[in-house]
Order: sequence, then structure tokens, then C-alpha cells
Amino acid sequence: MRTPLSRSFLARWLVPALLLALSPLSALANAPALTPEQLHQLLLKVDERSRTPTDYRVVMTSVIKRDTGTAVREAQLFRRDREERLLLLFTAPKTEAGKGYLREESNLWSYDPNVGRWERRTERESIGGTESRRSDFDQTRYATWFDATYEGTEKVGNANTHRITLKVKEGHDVPFPVIKMWLDVATTNPIKREEYALSGKLLRTVLASGWKKVALKEREEPFWYPEELRLYDELNKGNSSTFKSKAVDMRALPANLFTKAWLESKSR
Amino acid sequence: MLHLLLIAWRNLLQHRKRTAMLSVTLAGISTLMVLLLALTGGARERLLESATLLATGHVNIGGFYKVAPGLATPAVTHYPKLLELVRREIPELEHVSVRGRGWALFVSDARTLKSDIVGVDIQQEPALREVLSLKEGNLEELARPGTVLLFEEQAHKLEAKVGDMLTVSATTFRGVNNTVDVRVVGIARDIGLLSSLSIFLPNATLRELYQLNDDSAGVLQLYLKDMADTPVVQLRLRQLLEKEGFQVLRASEGIYWMKLDAVTQQDWTGQKLDITSWEDEMSLLRFAVTALDALGGVLVALLLLIVGVGVMNTLWVAIRERTQEVGTLRAIGMHRWRVVVMFLLEGSVLALASTLVGVGLGLGLCAVLNAAHIPVPDGAQVVLMTDFLHFQVGPRALLPPVFFVTACVSFVSLFPAFLAARLRPVTAMSHLG
Repeated sequence: MRTPLSRSFLARWLVPALLLALSPLSALANAPALTPEQLHQLLLKVDERSRTPTDYRVVMTSVIKRDTGTAVREAQLFRRDREERLLLLFTAPKTEAGKGYLREESNLWSYDPNVGRWERRTERESIGGTESRRSDFDQTRYATWFDATYEGTEKVGNANTHRITLKVKEGHDVPFPVIKMWLDVATTNPIKREEYALSGKLLRTVLASGWKKVALKEREEPFWYPEELRLYDELNKGNSSTFKSKAVDMRALPANLFTKAWLESKSR
Repeated sequence: MLHLLLIAWRNLLQHRKRTAMLSVTLAGISTLMVLLLALTGGARERLLESATLLATGHVNIGGFYKVAPGLATPAVTHYPKLLELVRREIPELEHVSVRGRGWALFVSDARTLKSDIVGVDIQQEPALREVLSLKEGNLEELARPGTVLLFEEQAHKLEAKVGDMLTVSATTFRGVNNTVDVRVVGIARDIGLLSSLSIFLPNATLRELYQLNDDSAGVLQLYLKDMADTPVVQLRLRQLLEKEGFQVLRASEGIYWMKLDAVTQQDWTGQKLDITSWEDEMSLLRFAVTALDALGGVLVALLLLIVGVGVMNTLWVAIRERTQEVGTLRAIGMHRWRVVVMFLLEGSVLALASTLVGVGLGLGLCAVLNAAHIPVPDGAQVVLMTDFLHFQVGPRALLPPVFFVTACVSFVSLFPAFLAARLRPVTAMSHLG
């Protein structure tokens, strides 16, 4: 025989607890498989969110872990997506201050004030001795550069995700021709990426967390960026880099900022 | 002149003790010089042999292919056409090695190592097989795709042994990351500095890693019948290729990866060839060769100085002892210059006979030491690029002792001979020796 107390217990604690416990599973089960068109639209949305019609400036702190020890660097990233311009200026420690990268159309240039020389780098090589590539800090082009396949839903940590496999289209040169990506069902943000070599070997895992949005006057879709980016080298096990973003500023940048002269002036 | 020679010879026989002492000294010095020159000559020979087999031909047709201005790959596309041209137009050619070139990260279970990689068709490279001394494994297996040959130091750094699997990671000429898994089929003994710079893979594996076509290579290494023809062939080949419409880079020294940065900065795209000699590719090695030659030269000069001072001193004493004899000769009418020639001949005959004996002894010792296979200490192997001492017996080792010791002794004989000839007969005859 049920007592009022037991009914109250069931109603107040047990049923909500069970619903709470089962809710992620039910959400996962309810996440529908995406059609190719839906998938394409989803990737277009991801790409749209990664670019901003305004200028963009952020202070980044990177922690580079190696067998030999840990190094910390600070840099400022400047972007003007409408002109496909990007500039990365290292500000700390003193030994790295003044070094930088400048993207000019399809060229990436690196500058070292110690030798006072510009060097053309490949777009796809690592940046500043970290596991990162230039594309990690720039707008994405998943929808245009890759053929996507929907793989299903999966839990990543506490998040329900769409698992997608991306294969690069003919004629597009990217560092990682095959990417497995996990998109948060709730926010559509890519929270995990596994990046593979042509041979199919896993080379790098990227975890993006702390996604923040910035409302824009120019369009309805806000601009999104991850506060923390963790990059794991899967060949050199134990090597990793973590980037933390702060002090995001979307105000207009000086017109002459994306020039070699400006970067050189920072080390004088 | 003949009778002066006879007098000189008799004088030598008459002063048997002094002659024997000087002969032993000169013969000993000559033997030492032969050993020294044979040793530096042997090291030089091995150095060049190892370098030209491991890393460069006598003349090389390398180059860079750029798919975009900022993406340079050390590759020669459509190489069979070049090969045909070279075989037709270069009569000095002995054989050609088609090698792959690249730079990759090697990953073992325990460690990683970044290294220059060299693609080879091991069955087409009998000379390379001779120069590689295997510590473990089987070199023949390098003919199979998906294999790798490491040198001792590289294996030690990667903590890898024969049979282990390694992952090789590199970016293709389009900048895309790629990997291949390779099995260690052999560990070769280190051959100095060069062996620590390169890891050998089959050409097919290197092409798979870089996604290159079958008609692409890293470099065509041309081996000539006579290495001395290198500058002539290099110049002719450059002119020939330019005439045939190939784009050729301006001549410059350095290993190809030392040029990669400069090429990346340039704005062109497509294929440009780079015609180099072994000296261009091995500018670092040329320093080692020059240093070895200089070392040999300095040691020989030091020996000659010691010999010169010793012989001059001995002759000085001998001439002082024979001052009365000189006075008598002058008194009976011998001209001053004939006195000089007499003493000069005495020194020269002594030196020539002694050095010939010394060189003969040196030859014998070189043969014995070569047969003994004396190991080179690890530290010295880095410079000498050989694990055993090798004494090269040839004109470079044999002629200098004969000519230089004889010339040096003759020269130093002049001074005391002149002093003796200057004496007035009456002074010389009254000298109490």
C-alpha cells in the first residue's frame, strides 16, 4: 500500500531523476540522420559562423607541451575575412616577441626580427612551433572544399553530436585531406576534429571548447569562436598545444595593419 | 761530373758510421712520411668514395618542382627523357643512379626522428651495396616496397631494431600530409657524418609518400668513368639541357635542402633543373678533404724541417772534420764550385738512397697495416667516414718522400758546402780538425 509520502517521493525525486538521466539518450535517439542537403546546409552554417564581416582581433595564449618541457607564448591575431587577410604577431616571451605571420592572398609569410628577413612559408605548415596550422585560426570552408558524409550521432563528453566525415575535393590543397568532425547537435559548433593523412593515418586531434558568440549588426547569424583550442599530435604522442583566446575585439583595424611594414615596425 | 759523383760515393763509404746514422734517420723519416701520406690519402679516398656513393654522383641532375610559388619540392619530373638524353650525349658516363629526395618525420614506438630521406632502387646500385656495411638485417629486402634501412645512430635514436615498424610522415608536393608505414630491414654501420644525415627507402615507397608519378625522381646521379672529367661534363650538360629547352637554375654550391628556402622565395612555378658536381653538393665535405690535405702537408713540412736541421747540423760537423781535406783539394787545383758540387752530391746520393729504402719499408708497412684492419675510433669516424684505417699506396704517398727529402737534404747541404768552398787553401790546410 502506497503512502502519501512515497507518492510524493516518486513525484518529486525519482521520476525527474530518471527523466534527467535518460534525457541525453533520448535526445541522441531523437537526433535525426541528416540528409545530404541538410548536411551541406549545416556545414554552410558552420562556415558562415566562422567568418565575420567586421575586423577581428584576439589575444591568444598558447601552451606548448613537449617531452623536453612546456613553453608558453602569447600572440595577437588580426583578421579581415572579407579581404582574406590574417596577421599573427607574437608578443611574449621576449625571445619570440616581434615574430609573426602574414597572409597575403594565397601566400603565407613569416618574419623573424632577429634576422630581419621575410620567408615565404607553405600555407599548410605548422605555426610557431605548435601543432597549429594557419587554417586553425581562420574562417573555415568545409562546405565548399570537402565532400561530407553523415556517419550518425555520438556522445562526446556530455554533448550529443553529429559525426561527419569530410574528404577534400579534387583541386583543393589542404593539410589534412580527411577529417572526422563532431558537431554539437545543440549549437552546431564543431567541438572535435580528427585529421588524417592521405594514407588514412590519424595525425591530429583538435578539441574546441568554450564556444562564444558575438552578435553582428551586418547579419543575423552571430560570429562564433572557441575560447579554448586543444591540438594533439597523434604521431608524436605527448606533443600538444593549447590556445586560449581572450579580449576579442571586433572594431575596425587600421588600414595599414595587414602589411609587412606594420609587422616589422612592431619589433623596432 | 762523374768523378765528383765517385768521390762523393767513396766519401760516404769511408765515413761508414756517420753515413749509416744519417741513412737510418732519412729512411725512417721517409717511412713515416709514406705512412702519413698514405693514411691521409686513404682517408681522402674513402671520404670521397662514401660521399659520392651515399649522397651525390660525380655530376647530378637535380632540381625543384613548384606547384605554387611557396611550395617547392626537390623533384625532377619526366626523368626518363633526361636519362635518355644523358646516355646519348655524355660518352664519359659510366652509370646513372636514380634517387629520390625528401625530408620526413620517422616515428617508432618510442621516439621520433626528423631526417633527410633518400629513395633508392637497391638492385640497381651495386656500388652502394658495397659501401654499406650491414650490422643486422638483409640489404636485399630493401628492394621491397614498405621497407627502410637505418644507420646505427639513427636506429639508436629511434630505439628501433630489425623487424620493427616505423611510420614515416611528410607533406606531399601539394602540401598535403601523408604517411607510410615501413619495416626496418637492416641496420648499417655508420659511415661518418653522411650516414647520420640520410635514411634509405625504396624509391617506390618514397613516391607513395610524396604521391609522385613513376616518371618522377629526386635526382639523377651521374657517375663518370674518370672523376676528373666532372667540371667538363657539368658545364657541357648545363649547356646541353639549356639548348634542349629545360629551365636550369643558376649554378650554386650546397646540398639541395640548403637551397630549398631560396627556391621557395622565388616566384616561378613548374620545373627547374639544378646541375651540380659532387663538390657543389658536398661543400662541407670539401672542407674536410682540404683539411685532410692541409693536415698531411703541415705534418710533412714539420718532418722536413726537423730532417733539414738535423742533416745540416751533421753535414756541418762532417765538413768541419774535413776542412784539411778541402784545403788539400783546393791546393791541388779544385775549383770552389766543384767543392760545392762534391758536398752537394754527397748529400743528394745519401738522401736518394736512404729515401728509396725508407719508401720501400713504408710500402711494406702499409700493406701489413691494411691487412690488419685497424678500427678507427668512433670520434674519428665522423670525419674520416670509414670504420677501418685505410692506407692508400700510390704516387701521392710515394713520390713526395723521395723528391722532397732528397731536395731538402741537397738544399741544406748547400750552406755548409759553400762555407767549405769559401775557405782559402792555406787556412783550410792549417785547420786543426
